[in-house]
Formats: sequence, structure tokens, C-alpha cells
Amino acid sequence: MSSEDLAKLAASLGGSLATRPKSVELTITPDKVLDACKSIASIPGLYHLTTITGLDLGEEIGLLYQFWQGRGFVVVRTAVPKANPKIQSISGTLASATLYEAEIQDLLGVSFDGNPYLGKKLLLPDNYPAEAPPPLRKEADPEKIRKMMELE
Amino acid sequence: MSEDLQHGQRKELSAGLIQYSVESAMPFGPIHPSLKEPEYFKLILEGERIVQVIPRIGYVHRGIERAAQERTWVKNIYLFERICGICSFAHSLGYTHAVEALTPFEVPKRAKYIRVIVAELERIHSHLLWLGLLGHWAGFDTLFMWIWKDREHILDLEEAITGNRVHKSYSTFGGVRMDLPDGIAAKLKTEMKYIEKRVDYYENLVGAEETLTVRTKGVGRISQETARRLSPVGPLLRCTGIARDVRVEDPYAAYDEIAPRVQTSNDGDIASLLTLRLNEIRESCWMVSEAAERLPTGPYKVSIPRAVPRGESMFHVEAPRGELFYFVKSGGGSAPERVKIRTSTMANLLTATEMLKGCTLADVPVVLTGMDPCFGCMDRISVLDVGQSKEWSVRGEELRTYGIEYYRKRLS
Repeated sequence: MSSEDLAKLAASLGGSLATRPKSVELTITPDKVLDACKSIASIPGLYHLTTITGLDLGEEIGLLYQFWQGRGFVVVRTAVPKANPKIQSISGTLASATLYEAEIQDLLGVSFDGNPYLGKKLLLPDNYPAEAPPPLRKEADPEKIRKMMELE
Repeated sequence: MSEDLQHGQRKELSAGLIQYSVESAMPFGPIHPSLKEPEYFKLILEGERIVQVIPRIGYVHRGIERAAQERTWVKNIYLFERICGICSFAHSLGYTHAVEALTPFEVPKRAKYIRVIVAELERIHSHLLWLGLLGHWAGFDTLFMWIWKDREHILDLEEAITGNRVHKSYSTFGGVRMDLPDGIAAKLKTEMKYIEKRVDYYENLVGAEETLTVRTKGVGRISQETARRLSPVGPLLRCTGIARDVRVEDPYAAYDEIAPRVQTSNDGDIASLLTLRLNEIRESCWMVSEAAERLPTGPYKVSIPRAVPRGESMFHVEAPRGELFYFVKSGGGSAPERVKIRTSTMANLLTATEMLKGCTLADVPVVLTGMDPCFGCMDRISVLDVGQSKEWSVRGEELRTYGIEYYRKRLS
């Protein structure tokens, strides 16, 4: 995807564009992510979602949708509030996102509306305590969780 | 494939081979330590044919991404290597590249070439291991033993270069940990010639041997359209004719100077994965010899300060199983703020479930091995028969015997 196309996409979705050494990043609000990913994936040769990365940013959970393009990545960056960590799933359009979203749901507690794994576990054990924070969140204390799971 | 078998007959056939474990509420596995890497797939069957597959992973999820946040940058190299015993060098390569990208230092050219040599040796031994395992699961154990003997040649080379056979602990920030030993270049070239010769032999063998052709031709087929939809990586993508390889499209280390000719095959079944991987071994042999021949002189490492500058970086490498991705975030401290790893098997899992659909239960071991899973052999599989509304569990080894018996009966 050329930088002009990305700039147009950023303008139409009300987002901002940043160029880094190995990536071009489009920062948008969560409700625009599905549209952005659809547009990016519709470009021939760019239908390769490498992964989705989740980040604990304190008050928010950052989400990075990383598409491999040529010698780098096209990244769609957004963030959802920790108080209400919900976002529309892109797995309906990009089936390859299914497991990446399910992984973030397990490890960072973000609900992806429309994902077949919504409310189900993919990685975590079935007896992972419901009251414990998801394990990759900063407030999660492995020792406490271990005690809750009665492993000690 | 199973049309000749009536439903009742199939039950009879399976009753003798599959241990029903309806009454056992505490099954052996999937997390029993004596098993190989554990995994769980729920297979929905209609008669003998698989109609739906539901994967459940995480039985060996060790929380490595979280553990990395508690360790220093350098210690993490050794932690990430332990994610996988087969492609351990690819993990350290991905991580060290991602961290090096945050610093202003340039890795010396000699180190780049050495990295290519070790990475390609790893690809050869991983592909050989896979080929041997495929032979084992298809009931051709002689092939398994021959190939694993040849694989020892590669492991010996890796030991001579890095000091270790499995977890090489070789790539480090700024280069590699030590220089190549004296006289290794000649040894590399001789051994690569030997491996190439063996690959020619195996190619003739697998094309002519019915034990393998009947189990692999047309089995576990995926179309190019499915591959585009599900974005698998590595050989699983290339066996459908899509020529995509990180080493060529986004070169790292010295791959811009020693570029592989990307191998593809077109049938998208297990047989085409087989020929594809044999061709990839040949290509890797050429690359190792070429890198040893053109090895530049100079330092093999530059010193990089322990504190990694603040920033984010993403990097991917072509591991033996395909694209392996690392995302690193540094807050300027002694440990990373976040490391995200996407392994090749994670990207290939959905495609594997597509490959299984339409196959028979007897094909499961070969098809799952075909994707070269990093979680090892499906040690526990729960089977739900739609017609019978019955659920039972089988172990990988039992399923292997079942598959071999099934095809023996069909062929006789």
C-alpha cells in the first residue's frame, strides 16, 4: 500500500499516520479498526496479517494490527479503555485474526465482539480464576494467582 | 476413501484398535509429563470422515512473554531460545534483531554471514526431522531411522560451531558469541555435499514407495484460496504455489547477499509438502556452502551497551516453519516492557484444521505431522461421532497404529 493511499485512508477515518524505520502506523479510534483492516486487506498482496499485539498501557489496552508489507509492516494502532475493554472483531473479514484475537482475550482481557472464541478459553487453563486479572495485565501478580489456583 | 466401509464395519474395525475411555474421567494427558508436547483437537466425525475440528491449545503455555518482563535483556535471549528445541536459533535471531533495531549499532558483516550459516543448518535439521517423523507416523520407520542418522551430521556441525546441539545460545546483541572454529568451512562444504546426495536418494525413495504415496497424495489438501484466506506461513503457504519468504521479501542478516531461490509446489497436499521441503533442504545446503565460501573477514561482534534505548520495534525472520514474529517495547530500563512473539505454528493452526476437514480418522497423524506442528504429536484427541453421539479419546500412538492398519486393510 503506497503512502498516498495510507494517507487517504487516514484522512477518511480521521486518524493520524506515522512513519517509523520498519513500519507505517495508522492510529485510529477502536470503532474504525474494522474499516481500516478491510481496506488494507483488500489491497492485492497485502492480505497477510502477521499478528495482533496487545499492550498494557496503564489505563488502556493498546492493540496493534500488524500487516506484513514488503520490507516492513503496515500497522493499525488503537487503544480500548481498561474499564470497558471491548472492540469489534475483524475475524469475520480476516479469518486469520481469529486465534490472535482469542489470545489477547485470554491474556489481556479484551472482548472481541463477533469472534468465535468470545467467552471461551484458548490458552489459559479452565480453572483460571474468574476474579483474577488476565495474566499479562500489569496488575496481575503471578504469586497471588498461583495461590488462587491452589497450586501452592 | 471410506465409502467401501459401512458404518457398522467401521465400528468393528475401530473397536479392536481404539481404546474407548468413556469411563476414565482423568485421562492420560494432555498435560502428562511423559507425553511429547501435548495438544488437544476436538474432531467431529460423520462416519469415518472429519467434518469439523476445534483446536484447544495452551497445555504448554509457560507464560514466557510475562516472564520476559522480569528478566534482563540479555537473559531473555536464553529464555526465548527455550520456546522451541527445534528452531531455537530462529527465536534468538528474531529477538536479537528486534533489539538491535532499537540501537544505533550495525552488526559486522562476518556475524551476518555466520548467522545465515547457523540458521540454514537449523532449517536443514528441522526439515529432516519432519521428514523422519512423517515416515514414522505413516508406518515407514526405516525412513525415520535413516533420516535421523543423517540429521546427526547437521547436529555435529552445529555443536562444532556453537558448542551446543539444541539450544545454541549463539546469537547475541551485536553479532554472535564466538567466531567460527578453524577449518570449519571445508567441513561444512563436505557435509553439505553429503546431505545433498542423501536428499536425492530420499526424493527417489518417497516418490516410489507406496507406503508413503498412498498416505500423502491428495491427503490434507488445501487450495490457494484457503491459504490466502487463512494466511499460513512457511512451507504450508508455499506448497499451494504462493512464493512468500521473509528471507527474500524482507531480507535480514546476510540474506540480501545470499538470497535463496524460493521453492514452491502446487498441489497443496502432504505429498507436495514433502517434495517442497526436500527442495528447501537442497537450497539451504547451497546457502551454507556459499556463505562459508564467501565468509568476510573482520570482527564477529560489536559491543552494545546493556541499556536498550526507549522505543518499539518489530521484526520477523523465516524460521524453518515459516514467519516468526517478534515485537519488543523498551522503556529504557534493564528489562523489556513488553515482548510479543507470534510463532509459526500459531499462524498455521487454522490452516491445519482446514487440512483435516474431509480426511478420515486414519489420516489424522499424517496430516497433523504434515503441518510440522511445534506442539509435537497430537497426544490426545477427543472424537465425537455425530451418528453415534458418542465421545471417546485416543492417544497419538493408538491413532498411528489405527492409521497403518486402516491402510493395510485397504491395500490388501
